[in-house]
Amino acid sequence: MISITTAAPAVSAAFLASLVEVVEAFTIVLAAGTLRGWRAAIAGTAAALAVLVLIVVALGPALDQIPLHWLALLIGTLLLLFGMGWLHKAVLRAAGIVPLHDQNAAFAAEAANLSDAAAPGRAAFDWLGGLIAFKAVLLEGLEVVFIVIAVGAGRGLLVPASLGALAACIVVLGIGAIVHRPLARVPENTLKFAVGVILSAFGVFWTGEGLGIAWPGDDFMILFFGCAFLLAGLGAAQIVRRSTRALTP
Amino acid sequence: MNLLREVAGGLYKMFVGDAWSTGAILAVVSVTAGLKAYRVVPPLIAGAILFIGCIAVLVASVVLSARRNRVR
Repeated sequence: MISITTAAPAVSAAFLASLVEVVEAFTIVLAAGTLRGWRAAIAGTAAALAVLVLIVVALGPALDQIPLHWLALLIGTLLLLFGMGWLHKAVLRAAGIVPLHDQNAAFAAEAANLSDAAAPGRAAFDWLGGLIAFKAVLLEGLEVVFIVIAVGAGRGLLVPASLGALAACIVVLGIGAIVHRPLARVPENTLKFAVGVILSAFGVFWTGEGLGIAWPGDDFMILFFGCAFLLAGLGAAQIVRRSTRALTP
Repeated sequence: MNLLREVAGGLYKMFVGDAWSTGAILAVVSVTAGLKAYRVVPPLIAGAILFIGCIAVLVASVVLSARRNRVR
């Protein structure tokens, strides 16, 4: 029986992280489709999704071969590196040290790159457009695959986590198909902050389990770690903001 | 080849965004593993060291990055 305290953070981490990644991939695919033709953009996206499925299919059984405590230690450490990396960047953005990611600017930059390259004839397949879409979906998708495997493997949560990721894809593609422009109003940094908090909490929990530490309260410790990372992140942003203000003449 | 290099670079950046914090996180995990393996401290204390160490790394890495950004 899957406990709600484990499933809820896993599914929400997969959903929120996928939301961020799919929005980023969507911006580039939209630029490729609008400027180079939808046939190539869709083909590139489909090819990348096929590669991602192959990676999951190949990795799934391979992970089953690893003893559970080694798997927990490996995934826990990777989650710490990945989750704290996201949290680190999100805190710097929240403090105003690093500029927020702007989907409209990303779309304009990608569009400028694609416009510079010569477009093929109408009948010819646009390899450049296809390759750009393929690369964007593959690179952003790899992060989604890692998060789904990391929060789902070893606890029987692969399917719920995958469904969380799939729901994010449906939401973004649905809204994207209606508005047909970059989804610039998604609060990307807030989402990254939340995902960084959840993944870091999972990272500490799993790493500890991998090292043979029996956490008191079992899965409830994930919520405790999450609250602590949230407070630490908000506190760090506050410290940095204050010291920046103090230095500004 | 270029695409493979970009994918490899993307994977690397996924886990090594900031070299200092990556090194510090790995150091915290290694120290915790050592303390637990050699039974220097009880398991729960090792867990507390892991947790507090990670929080400390987060705050320190943010403050350091902010300072570096300001110097630039």
